[in-house]
Amino acid sequence: MTEPLLRVDHLCQYFGSNKAVDDVSFEIRKGEVFGLVGESGCGKTTTGRGIIRLYDITSGSVYFKGHRIAAGIKSYKDAISEAKKALRGASGPERERLQAIIRENREQIRLARRDHEQCDHLLRPFLRREVEEKYAERLAAAPPEQRAQLLREKEYDLRVAEHQRYVTGIQMIFQDPIASLDPRMTVYDTIAEGLVIRGEKDKAVIDEKVYRILERVGLVREHATRYPHEFSGGQRQRIGVARAVVMNPDLIIADEPVSALDVSIQAQVINLLNDLRRDLGLTVLFIAHDLSVVKYFSDRIGVMYFGKLVEMASSDELFAHPLHPYTRSLLSAIPVPDPYFERHRKRIRYDPLAEHDYTVDKPVMREIVPGHLVQCNQAEYERYCRMMQEGQP
Amino acid sequence: MEQLEKKLQVQNLRISFKTAAGKVQAVRGITFDLYKGETLAIVGESGSGKSVTSKAILGIQAANALTEGGEILYDGMDLLQIDEQDFCRLRGDRLAMIFQDPLSSLNPIMRVGKQLTEAMLLKSRMRKNNSRTAFRERTHLLEQTMQTRFPERRDLARQMEQYRKMETALGAAEKASTDARQALARILPLLERLCFLKEKNADTAGMPEKILDYAGHARHEDALSEADLQDLRSALDGAGKTPDIRPLLERMQAILDRKPTREALLKRSCPSFTESDEAAFRADAQAGIEAAMERFAKARKEAVSVLESGLEALKSGGIEAVRPHVASMSGAVARCIDPIDPVRDSRACTFAGSLKKFLRTYEDGVRHNAGRQVRYEREMKKAERRQAQGKTWTVPAPSIIDLEQVRANMTGLIEAMIQHLNTPQKMTGAEKTEAVLSAIHESALGMVANMTPWEARERALRLMEEVGISEPEKRYKQYPFEFSGGMRQRIVIAIALAADPDVLICDEPTTALDVTIQAQILELINRLKEERHLSIIFITHDLGVVANMADRIAVMYAGQIVEYGTSEEIFYSPAHPYTWALLSSMPDLDTKERLEAIPGTPPNMIYPPKGDAFAERNRYAMQIDFEQQPPRFQITPTHWAATWLLHEDAPKVEMPESVRHRIEKMKARMEMPSRAATDCQIQTSDKSSFGKCSTVRPAKEGQA
Repeated sequence: MTEPLLRVDHLCQYFGSNKAVDDVSFEIRKGEVFGLVGESGCGKTTTGRGIIRLYDITSGSVYFKGHRIAAGIKSYKDAISEAKKALRGASGPERERLQAIIRENREQIRLARRDHEQCDHLLRPFLRREVEEKYAERLAAAPPEQRAQLLREKEYDLRVAEHQRYVTGIQMIFQDPIASLDPRMTVYDTIAEGLVIRGEKDKAVIDEKVYRILERVGLVREHATRYPHEFSGGQRQRIGVARAVVMNPDLIIADEPVSALDVSIQAQVINLLNDLRRDLGLTVLFIAHDLSVVKYFSDRIGVMYFGKLVEMASSDELFAHPLHPYTRSLLSAIPVPDPYFERHRKRIRYDPLAEHDYTVDKPVMREIVPGHLVQCNQAEYERYCRMMQEGQP
Repeated sequence: MEQLEKKLQVQNLRISFKTAAGKVQAVRGITFDLYKGETLAIVGESGSGKSVTSKAILGIQAANALTEGGEILYDGMDLLQIDEQDFCRLRGDRLAMIFQDPLSSLNPIMRVGKQLTEAMLLKSRMRKNNSRTAFRERTHLLEQTMQTRFPERRDLARQMEQYRKMETALGAAEKASTDARQALARILPLLERLCFLKEKNADTAGMPEKILDYAGHARHEDALSEADLQDLRSALDGAGKTPDIRPLLERMQAILDRKPTREALLKRSCPSFTESDEAAFRADAQAGIEAAMERFAKARKEAVSVLESGLEALKSGGIEAVRPHVASMSGAVARCIDPIDPVRDSRACTFAGSLKKFLRTYEDGVRHNAGRQVRYEREMKKAERRQAQGKTWTVPAPSIIDLEQVRANMTGLIEAMIQHLNTPQKMTGAEKTEAVLSAIHESALGMVANMTPWEARERALRLMEEVGISEPEKRYKQYPFEFSGGMRQRIVIAIALAADPDVLICDEPTTALDVTIQAQILELINRLKEERHLSIIFITHDLGVVANMADRIAVMYAGQIVEYGTSEEIFYSPAHPYTWALLSSMPDLDTKERLEAIPGTPPNMIYPPKGDAFAERNRYAMQIDFEQQPPRFQITPTHWAATWLLHEDAPKVEMPESVRHRIEKMKARMEMPSRAATDCQIQTSDKSSFGKCSTVRPAKEGQA
């Protein structure tokens, strides 16, 4: 299988003793929409923010296009301190083994720190070399009158390469379109800001990109000179989308992009995101709590509960065969516009203490059927497999 | 539906906002009733005027708001007319609101516990005082009524005094008994949870102490005896090992099931007042009340004739002619109000005020209309000059009062009053006596219902648990900023419920919450509605949320109600294109195709559209939609919609595919012959004239 666009590996994000995200792993392949659902405070937003490096993650790694762009060192530190404790009483080959572990983990910490802090610096020479190579051939082959033009282009590409960062390839759409737009910047400035930071200096290029994207998201050129307060909620969210998409990202993290909008406006924005996704081949990490919207929009869905990913499957599979009791409780709470159904609805309550017995056997992610993973221990695993075979849930 | 008591009546409410750009007509004549114990959902986009309506009910409008007409009747008061002091008594106590934005409705420098208990403690003190006054007044009125019936009897005062004493004692006994039993009821789930936790070997720290604390409060003849208490203590002391408390649980459940009867309580609290005493008193009271009812029936007849003569004058001579009649009409109507009636006759009580308001409006119009017109013309000329220079210049429309409209409103008011007085009283004498006596008992209960800080804290903790806040004891002492957004919203909901209101207005209470909590809170609101006969106005833009909640739904657009019906009618046979659009624009779990978003945005209400406000965004709009406002087309007695599509000459239009599919699916799910299975398509006979019609006249309004 090809390398996924984004791979999140044992991501942990602790705030003091609060484990906001605890050992979350998932992959997003190119062109797919991965939905992350869960109740408020379960860490889905924190996961998104950890990926885009708004937080320094505590432990685990985030790989983007095969490169590690964020890494935490807590797990290595823990391993070292444990080995050191064991070292006191150890001797002989055991001692050497432990020392090897410590060395190994120290090396890992060094690598993690390097990747976390230096990944962009490591990227740039590589990009520069790529540009040099690209133009070397063309310059050699070009007739003299085109050389000046080519040199200008090369210079431009080099400048862009110099400002390139991995994270630029990931863009975020925020929940609240009012709070996430600077009230003192015009729409044009807001959208162009990212381009300027990336080293784009040519006014004509910026103009072209900004106007094209404005039209793409269903606004018009004239809107560029206005301020955010002059727009309705749906239009503001379109500006937020435009700001993210103009950077031509590989991955968009959409953090509850429609939760703050009216139903009718929601549909407009969802349609827009859908069109963009189809036309531009975007990959999206879609964070939301509205399950109908997530189901509609996502290819695969991960369900989070108190910082842990408890179930992950393709969206049809998840809704057809929810296995984890929390997922089932979540699905049973979806409001349906049908009075008869609503009055006879049985909401399943989830009480982790009553549902699971994890005193002996700790749960891990296990694959029940291909592509359908559930957090469970061995006994539960067998039960789920049985349920799956009988087609029960 | 007829039997239900109307809690709140909104009639033809019109609200505008004065802004620099002109007058924004936010609410343009809406009418609805809220019945006791039912939920009315108001659904619409932002800017459709739903929040403005709710704020008008609470009297918390912005300073630039202008109430242009209509009335909001609650408990005999027109909420648009009463002053701030009266409003303070209602707000938060009888009318509570859950706001959309939790951050701005919490006090940042007060611990949430205090914010939760504040209203309860204040209210308890107020309720005590109010109940005392009400008790005195009601018993006094009853005595007077009886005195009028039996002028010769000397022992009435003594009899009344006895009755008063009995009610007071009985109220106190009842209060003590219920308190203890409530504390006991609280122990049961805790004990069960304790058993469960012990089985799972989980942490149970603090729970035994908590249970014992409750047990202390449950010490009463009707709840826990001293022996029970001892048993409970010894069972809980067996720390470490699983205590065998099943038999204890069963015993407590048995105690709870054995509810003390009124007779038993009466015997215990006031042994001197025997059953025969009570029967005699009841018979006397009923005789008195029946006599009074006859008197008031006569007064009603007189009032009708006075009103009719006033109406005659109004119809023939206009408002000037009716002016001399105003005092006599107000007086005649006031004489029809039975002061002893526990349910106040809101229409009669507000009659005089409304009449005066119309007169004032009329005077204002007569005095200022001409001046306003002149100023408007001057402004228009200026605007023309500016526009000729190429500048954009708008002139706000003049607020000229339509005198004819005032007269028509007044006629309507008087006619409605006459009709109201002519309707025969539904209550028989026995029923009314029962109602009066239970109202007295209610206020006797209120006199003793004093809430201690312990009780207030207890209730607050319980509410916090109910709205889904874990570790309420810890959270009780925290400040709002320590809570996440969803948690804050839950606190706001708990505060609104803490005051035990009559009418609860929920302005998008769950929009910011996730599904599980949303479902939990909706269930909570529903349960409270059942328990306390709460009337709820539920405002939202999400139709999915209200399916569970609403008894009736009003769909609002551009300041008007465009469709109104029971929940089933709106969901299973929606008739207005806007309702269709709302239903089709949200994905459900089976949606795969592109969503049908409503194009565009709601209209600018400074310049409300001439015809149907939704026409611009409506796929099914016809020529006439841009020219004339559609009247209400009654579909069933409880369901109407304001759209030209329902006109008999309109072309046959089907609702969007996705909505139809969904409704079919719902009906399949119901697995029974649907009552709402009436054809949802619009029946049509002749469509030739409607394609490009501007000639069609509106059909008769309100056929039912």
